[in-house]
Amino acid sequence: MCVRVLLVEDDERIQQALSLALSDEGFTVDEAGSGEDALRRLETESFDVLLVDLTLPGVDGLEVVRTLRSRGDLPIIVVTARADARDMIAGLEAGADDYVTKPLMASVLAARIRALLRRRGPGRDAVRIGDLEIRPQEGLVRRAGERVHLTRTEFRLLLELAGAGGRIVTREQLLQKVWGYDYFGDTRLLDVHIRRLRRKIEANPDDPSLLLTVRGSGYRIGS
Amino acid sequence: MRLTLRCRVTLSFGFGLLVVTSVLAFATWNLASGYMLRQREASATRQAEVNVRLVEKSLSSPGLDELLTGLTTGPDSSILVLSPDGHVTAGRKVEPSQLPAGLVEHPPARERIAVDGLPMLAVALPVAGNAVYIELFPLQQLNRTFGFLSAVLIAGTIGSALLGAALGSWASKRALKPLAELNSAAGRIAGGDLRARLPDQDDPDLAALAAKFNSTAHALEQRALRDARFASDVSHELRSPLTTMVNAGAVLRRRREHLPGTAGTALELLTSEVDRFARMVVDLLEISRADQTDDPPPEEIALDALVRNVIATRAPVPLELEPAVVLGDRRRLDRVLTNLLDNAERHAGGAVLVSVRARGAKVRLEVEDAGPGVPEQLREVIFERFARGVMAGSRGDDTGSGLGLALVREHVHRLGGRVWVEDRSPRGSRFVVEMVLRSSDG
Repeated sequence: MCVRVLLVEDDERIQQALSLALSDEGFTVDEAGSGEDALRRLETESFDVLLVDLTLPGVDGLEVVRTLRSRGDLPIIVVTARADARDMIAGLEAGADDYVTKPLMASVLAARIRALLRRRGPGRDAVRIGDLEIRPQEGLVRRAGERVHLTRTEFRLLLELAGAGGRIVTREQLLQKVWGYDYFGDTRLLDVHIRRLRRKIEANPDDPSLLLTVRGSGYRIGS
Repeated sequence: MRLTLRCRVTLSFGFGLLVVTSVLAFATWNLASGYMLRQREASATRQAEVNVRLVEKSLSSPGLDELLTGLTTGPDSSILVLSPDGHVTAGRKVEPSQLPAGLVEHPPARERIAVDGLPMLAVALPVAGNAVYIELFPLQQLNRTFGFLSAVLIAGTIGSALLGAALGSWASKRALKPLAELNSAAGRIAGGDLRARLPDQDDPDLAALAAKFNSTAHALEQRALRDARFASDVSHELRSPLTTMVNAGAVLRRRREHLPGTAGTALELLTSEVDRFARMVVDLLEISRADQTDDPPPEEIALDALVRNVIATRAPVPLELEPAVVLGDRRRLDRVLTNLLDNAERHAGGAVLVSVRARGAKVRLEVEDAGPGVPEQLREVIFERFARGVMAGSRGDDTGSGLGLALVREHVHRLGGRVWVEDRSPRGSRFVVEMVLRSSDG
């Protein structure tokens, strides 16, 4: 199956070079030069992954991410030009699944995309944690009977933690299993996702009872 | 050796007060002792004159001895009556020969003398005819008073000199306090903390100095920031063209077989240099970011677990890990270890041991290799930016950015630790990162 990638990038040369290199990696790449263009195309066509530069003229990358998140759970990787952590965190808070910084290499990007699209592990049985019900096969989560919309990445993160059955899962393990990072460094990626997940599944995100932080090592599911 | 300013102020205060008080003490001594002596002499003379009149009346009577004994005032006083036919004494035994000749021969006279080691006031008065009446008054009482007076004056002088020194020391300390603050602020700036400033001064003399110092420090800080921003801006601007180049290069490299011979070699060269260029820009951005302080709040990190995780993604290396928890930023620690391992691979054929050991309040992360080692004179230099190439043993195909160890030092510095390289026996080198140990219950 061919993976369709929409690349939103205003620098034409980068667009071309990345398209060529990603095609070499086996992806079908479509290009959009602006946020408006991207949003228009996403309304009519379907893609597997969105790759969006955060600094775009007009409707900027953050806006694109926010709009798309409100529409569904299309995997999004943001490309941050600034090394500044704020951009990256803003992108993740807006709903992106992962981020890369320039200069980005197509091979790295390809690994990220594959990790994001990796199929869920063999169907597990439904898990119950407190008033939370996770059905891995159907890919849905219910809280007190009501459906909670999680992105694919949030779902995988929750599943990894639930699968450990209350044992501690280290940050490194989570980064590797969910994002395919074999070289960990940036745990802020994880921190933001944990925050996002808590907002969706915790009764009080500031005082979590399901998704607990274990200082100095990682996270675990509370019973 | 030249004395410190504070020492000199202390000494001159002490010395000044010593001079003033000793002059005062000397004058007091002279006036008081002279006055008391004169009083004593006057009273002695008066008493002697009274006595002489009594003696005169009974000079030739046999009751003279008895009279004289009655006239003596104490066990230490003596009375002599010298006449051409001989002499009579009463009280303490004194021979006329013990008395100075001038006194005996030319009465009336008065003199302070010592008899048998005792201080005496001798008063000689002529008695009717050519006899001489001499009375010796003991001066011990007066001398004791003098002794007490002089002791008080000397003690007072010494005391005031010490007080002066203490005052001088306190005053100079107070006066030099802004200087001490200046010194510590300048030291902090020299140590790399460009945010060090002097506190505001109330004193108009010092306010100008403090203001000048602070504005200089501010200018220095701005300049350092501008430099860092420049490096950051340049690297940032290079990112977009580099992204294009790196990816175009990857496309070309995939088609390497279509470019045989010279063109292929040139392509190989081009793409590997572009890759290196990209790494260099990434490292430059990181180091210019490392200069800034936008760290997240420090968290507790299990150093042993972190090492195990980093090594798990690389070629296996023997580990010796003790449990140790440190406070810091995980990304920085990751980079430190990764860069040290990269460095070992690049210059020494890979690490042969990675260890974490708690040592008292500190913990050491050590990366050992069995390479050629680092010569003594280069052990500082290799941690500087773009120091690559100073090593005689570096490889020709080196693709490092030249910033790896500089980044290590920068990160370790930010983590509040220090890093150095030392010899490892029998060969190779050991890179040591020392940090504050939070706890060792890992």
